[in-house]
Amino acid sequence: MKKDERATIRSIPSGVPGLDSVLGGGLPEYSFNLIAGGPGSGKTTLAHQIVFSNATVERPALYFTVLGEPTIKMLRYQRQFSYFDPKLAGSAIQFINLSTEVMERDLGDVLDRIVAEIERAKPGIVVVDSFRTIGRQHGSSERGTSFDLDHFIQRLALHLTTWEVTSFLLGEYSEEEQRNPVFTVADGLLWLSQATDRNSVVRKLQVLKIRGRASMPGLHTFRITDNGLQVYPRIPEQTSKRSLQQTHDRLSTGVAGMDEMLDGGIIAGAAVMLTGPAGSGKSTVATQFMSAGLAAGETGVIAVFEEYPEEYLRRANLRNPEVGKMIDAGKLALIYLRPLDLSVDEALFSILEAVDRLGAKRVVIDSLSGFEVALAPTFREDFRESLYRLVGTLTATGVTVFMTAEVSEAFAEARFTTEKVSFITDVIIVQRYVEMEGELRRVVAVVKMRGSNHSHEFRLYEVTAKGIVVGGTLTEYDGILSGTPTLRGKTNGVSPMPAKVKRAQTKAGRVAKARRGK
Amino acid sequence: MKNTADKSRETPSGERSPAGQIARRLIHSRRPASAGDGSSARAAATACDRLYDELSRWVGPDGCHALFTRALAQARAEYPALANIHLQPRSESYIDGVAETIMAFGDPATDEALESMLARLVELLGRLIGDDMAMKLIERSTVSDRDGAPSVKRREEA
Repeated sequence: MKKDERATIRSIPSGVPGLDSVLGGGLPEYSFNLIAGGPGSGKTTLAHQIVFSNATVERPALYFTVLGEPTIKMLRYQRQFSYFDPKLAGSAIQFINLSTEVMERDLGDVLDRIVAEIERAKPGIVVVDSFRTIGRQHGSSERGTSFDLDHFIQRLALHLTTWEVTSFLLGEYSEEEQRNPVFTVADGLLWLSQATDRNSVVRKLQVLKIRGRASMPGLHTFRITDNGLQVYPRIPEQTSKRSLQQTHDRLSTGVAGMDEMLDGGIIAGAAVMLTGPAGSGKSTVATQFMSAGLAAGETGVIAVFEEYPEEYLRRANLRNPEVGKMIDAGKLALIYLRPLDLSVDEALFSILEAVDRLGAKRVVIDSLSGFEVALAPTFREDFRESLYRLVGTLTATGVTVFMTAEVSEAFAEARFTTEKVSFITDVIIVQRYVEMEGELRRVVAVVKMRGSNHSHEFRLYEVTAKGIVVGGTLTEYDGILSGTPTLRGKTNGVSPMPAKVKRAQTKAGRVAKARRGK
Repeated sequence: MKNTADKSRETPSGERSPAGQIARRLIHSRRPASAGDGSSARAAATACDRLYDELSRWVGPDGCHALFTRALAQARAEYPALANIHLQPRSESYIDGVAETIMAFGDPATDEALESMLARLVELLGRLIGDDMAMKLIERSTVSDRDGAPSVKRREEA
């Protein structure tokens, strides 16, 4: 061996989507790991997933069961998961019950049996489920005194490492028990938990320790589905190879008048927020924005939070029948995210996966208000920080993000945006209602646009069957923000509509009528 | 008296069911080269011992005993010959009372009764963990010896 040659610690894949990123590249080979957590936290499922993705006939896995969940029930339930391949059971994965040794003999016999089975099978992976029951049975009993638990753990770890085995001990531990000797000996410590907040339950995973790896800190949410565990890292791995390229290209919103107000369109890669009260046409503009991209040959993703995708698609198709066809053609993905226990990371994972799959240039999030409601209560508390991560990660891939947000406002009080999210956006467009000559009118303005000489005017618009049509300005009016504008020089709010506004409205109406007639 | 509608061993056409065929194969693998009095029933009992030994490695002696207990209870309702058969967990011979049963009912009837119990166990395990995995586990018991694997002392060695 050369003098400076270091032992290479290879990584083995966990087989759990998202977990290898959290672990800093995978599980260190020959490491001695503890998977801890409360009942029902997913320990056994995680261990099975690791085992089924790594075991081979040449390098099998030994799965030692002790007490707790009866093995036959464990097998019955575990085989419901898609990763459970019955062909591997018995050959590549051997289940061995240790209950006799644990119940009737001492820890020395338990260790001897484990070592004998390892010598026989020469496994690559060993699982002891549940290790905690061995400790309970022997840790404080008289039988434990001759061969105490600390010594047992020490020797077990040594045997497993010298036999070049990657091992996992499973156990129900509480956070107060972290002085348990197994926590000290373990090379890796994965903690699974279920956080309950009101009626919502969110599963979380934390890598408390992993030797020789820079793991991702923090609590990462995960779900257990028919496919097993799926971890959503807090800092998602950039699956896309696209790098952020500031092209300064202008993207059309699909609304001619709005493009004018935006100095030619939205700068590619920007985060745009369109706010307005209910019924002001936010989803309509969002659909037009996406349609403009599709018409230009781009691909896109729409994340829907407020309504069922079928209904959303039906209405989008009314405005632009191409939307449905584009989904069928694989140019557009409609993602439905409406559970009430959603985590930001899960939403981000779904959107990023679709962006990467389609090579999307445009992403619509409709709406942030629905997104906030869909989140589990525990995540609503740090919505601002979560949204910052979501938007930052998405725009870092180079996509342009168009978000809608509902603002509830008293009629005579203008609110441009929710204070929670305005800081993360490059462009803010505001829609609102005003009363003019006894009629409810809609106006739109660009409040913020970084790096552009955007319009500062209020402009009337109409929502038609084919989309938004922006009309003329209201430069002859004052008090638009009050909701009851008055013609300059008048104060009673019942001023006649000036010719310019009438022309603007008439023009918008004509365009709308012409589009309807198409 | 054997019930003619023994579903675990026979199909409606009178052929052996898949579980019955597996049970028969397990017993056959334990049959000695030279047959003598009671050899069929003893082979059936040995097959049960061996299956208990193998399954215990997987699901633990308690789990395995629970499976055998139910299979025996079901088979007993149709085979009076099983009345004196008892299960002895963690003992040298798991199936107890074979010699007495052979004396009382004869070798073929005892063999048939034990085969029926085995067939029911095969079916039960298949329902619980899936037929494919159950078959794999059960067929491992026909493999003579695993290298160095701990095992109970078997009837044929005794």
